[in-house]
Amino acid sequence: MSGAATVPPSADGVDNAAGTAPAGLRIRGLRKWYGDTRALDGLDLDARPGEILGVAGPNGAGKSTLIKILAGETGADDGEISLGGRTWDTGSEGDRVAVVHQEPQLFPNLSVAQNLMVGREGTRALVRGLTADEKTLLADLAILEIADRPLAEVPLAVQQRVEIGRALARDAAVFLFDEPNSALTQEESEDLFRRMHLLADAGRVVLLVSHRIAELAQHADRVALVLDGLCTTVLEGEALTQEGIAAGLVTGQAAREPEEQITIRAGDDAATALRLRAWTHGAGEFDGIELHVRAGEIVAMVGVEGSGARELVRSIAGFEKGTGQIEIAGREGRGRVASATSLVSADRQTSLFTNLTIGDNMVARLNREITRAGALRRGRMHEIARDLRDRFQVKASSVHLPIRSLSGGNQQKVAIAAAIVKRPEVLVLEEPTRGVDIGSKREIYRLMRAYAQDGHAVIIYCTEVPEVFEAADLAYVVSDGRLSNPLIVMNYPDVEALARAVTRLERHGAVGGGVPAGVAPSP
Amino acid sequence: MTENQAAAKRGGPGAVTLSGRALAVGLRVGGIVIAIALVIIVFTLLSKPNTFFTFTNALGVMRSMSTIAIVALGLTLVIVVGEIDLSFGYMYGLASILIGVAWIVWGWPIYAAIVLAFLAAAGLGAVNALLVTALKIPSFIVTLGTGQLVFGTTLLVSNTATLNPSYPPPGKVVPQGEIDWFFALSNQDLPFDIPMQALWMVGVALVIGFLLSRSLFGFRLKAIGGNPAAAELARLPITKYKFAAFMLCSMLAALAAMLDFAFIGSVQPNAGVSLTFPVFAAVIIGGASLAGGRGTAIGTLSGALLLALIANGLALLSAGSYLSNFVSGAVTIAAVVLDRFTQSLRK
Repeated sequence: MSGAATVPPSADGVDNAAGTAPAGLRIRGLRKWYGDTRALDGLDLDARPGEILGVAGPNGAGKSTLIKILAGETGADDGEISLGGRTWDTGSEGDRVAVVHQEPQLFPNLSVAQNLMVGREGTRALVRGLTADEKTLLADLAILEIADRPLAEVPLAVQQRVEIGRALARDAAVFLFDEPNSALTQEESEDLFRRMHLLADAGRVVLLVSHRIAELAQHADRVALVLDGLCTTVLEGEALTQEGIAAGLVTGQAAREPEEQITIRAGDDAATALRLRAWTHGAGEFDGIELHVRAGEIVAMVGVEGSGARELVRSIAGFEKGTGQIEIAGREGRGRVASATSLVSADRQTSLFTNLTIGDNMVARLNREITRAGALRRGRMHEIARDLRDRFQVKASSVHLPIRSLSGGNQQKVAIAAAIVKRPEVLVLEEPTRGVDIGSKREIYRLMRAYAQDGHAVIIYCTEVPEVFEAADLAYVVSDGRLSNPLIVMNYPDVEALARAVTRLERHGAVGGGVPAGVAPSP
Repeated sequence: MTENQAAAKRGGPGAVTLSGRALAVGLRVGGIVIAIALVIIVFTLLSKPNTFFTFTNALGVMRSMSTIAIVALGLTLVIVVGEIDLSFGYMYGLASILIGVAWIVWGWPIYAAIVLAFLAAAGLGAVNALLVTALKIPSFIVTLGTGQLVFGTTLLVSNTATLNPSYPPPGKVVPQGEIDWFFALSNQDLPFDIPMQALWMVGVALVIGFLLSRSLFGFRLKAIGGNPAAAELARLPITKYKFAAFMLCSMLAALAAMLDFAFIGSVQPNAGVSLTFPVFAAVIIGGASLAGGRGTAIGTLSGALLLALIANGLALLSAGSYLSNFVSGAVTIAAVVLDRFTQSLRK
């Protein structure tokens, strides 16, 4: 762990903070209502300079509202925020907080250097060059050499560094990282965390909002759990472990049996649901893939962005161009793809119709089932939707509500329901539980399992090993456009063992191909 | 438990959100109804007695709104699917000129001339849709361009002449039977002197209303317009639906052109070029979203009615056309402001 050396032990951090408590970010009684829905219910939170404060919580618990308020995107209805002992108006002093999103919010058409300068060009009519200070800053972030490249052409990780640079240039006091590394490679993530530690060491307030429990446990000095619009617990010291966070997040949820280990595996005699031969991507993201998936199986394709895994699963559903042979449920030919597969994208922006109700979203892919002579059968649509809502346990009092009224996890259940309702032979899901709380994750895995057991194949694209461990029967690691040998998930006793195997296969593939600019792994 | 609490929590406000939506729709429709009522009251008070608030004038308003309403109902389909059509005004001009030239100058039977006009309209809609879907050119640019192409064709075909079947050019004869049949499309003795064009308008509104609100076509049109990316992943027939929307829009412009020609009795090549603003205004006042995914036939119809009332009232007051421009511009913007307001109530 590269950051370890530079982090003060957490006990020190606590001591420092005790002496200079007002120096940090202090939130008291923060309340926010959206109409009649309560998002924050008097949240208290303290973030001290010099530490990384992790923030964890299920979706819909108020985390995103907290981020929006701190970023000045929305106002609080009640409560107090102070920074360095002074009351802080997030609306007019928004410059003091830097929010680093998973998708950087920059100007893709401008160069890296121009991005750094936008908003601080000075009053001169002419475009100015970089100042010495700005050059130093870019050098520190290791982006000086590419200062003239258009932002759109540099990798995501670099864009995030530009975003950090923008904030440093305006001397922001609070750095809020919102799921910053969900699309980064391992190396890129480590670099990002090292920079977070450096920011904290420089005395800035650093908040890390993440669904990734392991990273919170590893990098945060303290972790605040946000549940139901309140900060219920702050874990630190001994209590700050992965198990501690996980337990804290499910506190109050219905007690469950320890997650039933998935031992159901389609027998060797099960029917072939999908077979790929010499399956090659139109733009070269994958090459010569041979794959055989049996009905009843859940197969995970694991790989970071750029590995070809995402393109591979999308090509199975016909949304990326693939050449070679594809056979679905015993019949060959690409003509089958449209009628026999369904895709649920990772991004709910592209899987749901925000102008339609929950129920209409669920039946949007249906045709003959909901019409008579071209006329809609509204009653039938509502009946199907209500049935799906109950089967998929979507928490909605009525299917006539706008889809936006649902939390992320429930929106995802609607998206999956809409894809399953056509009963595709092969169901393809990209990152099925991205941005979804733990409770909904389990339900989504259960739904996927039920659909597979019904005699269908489920193929998922995963970036996180815990998801593979909980959801899949077989996992293929994709690196550099090629498949590894399959990993049989039930053979691994715990998620760590599976993670080691996946990492080993990822490395192995990466040595042959190009490693993203940065440190090459030593063989 | 957290889940259950969350559900319970959502259940409560859920009902409120639903009634909030009903409220917003009510405000929207109510807003237009109130605006229409206000306009009627104001003009009744301002105008000379027995000019504005009379049955005869009401029938006149219905006739004068029908052209804009029929074209606007077609445009609503294009707007709902998330596209823009700027060519319908020029299509209106081309359709009337094609009917006129083919019938009067070329000596075609009127029926063939009408078929030609509708084929041209279908063709333009198809070309618009093809450029939008196959080449992915924004519809604003496509229809800005095809509109001018169509206008050029109109001027070319007509030789910039005004045509009247009762006074054909030297050496041409138009059968009186055909003239009677054609004029009867817009001029029939109906009970209570109801204008024929108003009936056409109601008929078109019923068809478009059914399509938008009661059919699979409208349901999917809204889905496609609301989120094209999701529609693609859901394998909705986006291309087919965009073709249908653009073609219906062009063909309804041709229908309006034919009816106006039949009503007025003559046609000139500049007809239709001033339709762009009032037709868009009717659609927008009617609550359709230019971002796509939202729009109703009754809304568009109300928008056209409001504009026609204002134009008619101001004309009765001899206010001059510039004032009419001021008022319709202001009303259009006010409608969008009102819409933003009701949208914010939903949140």
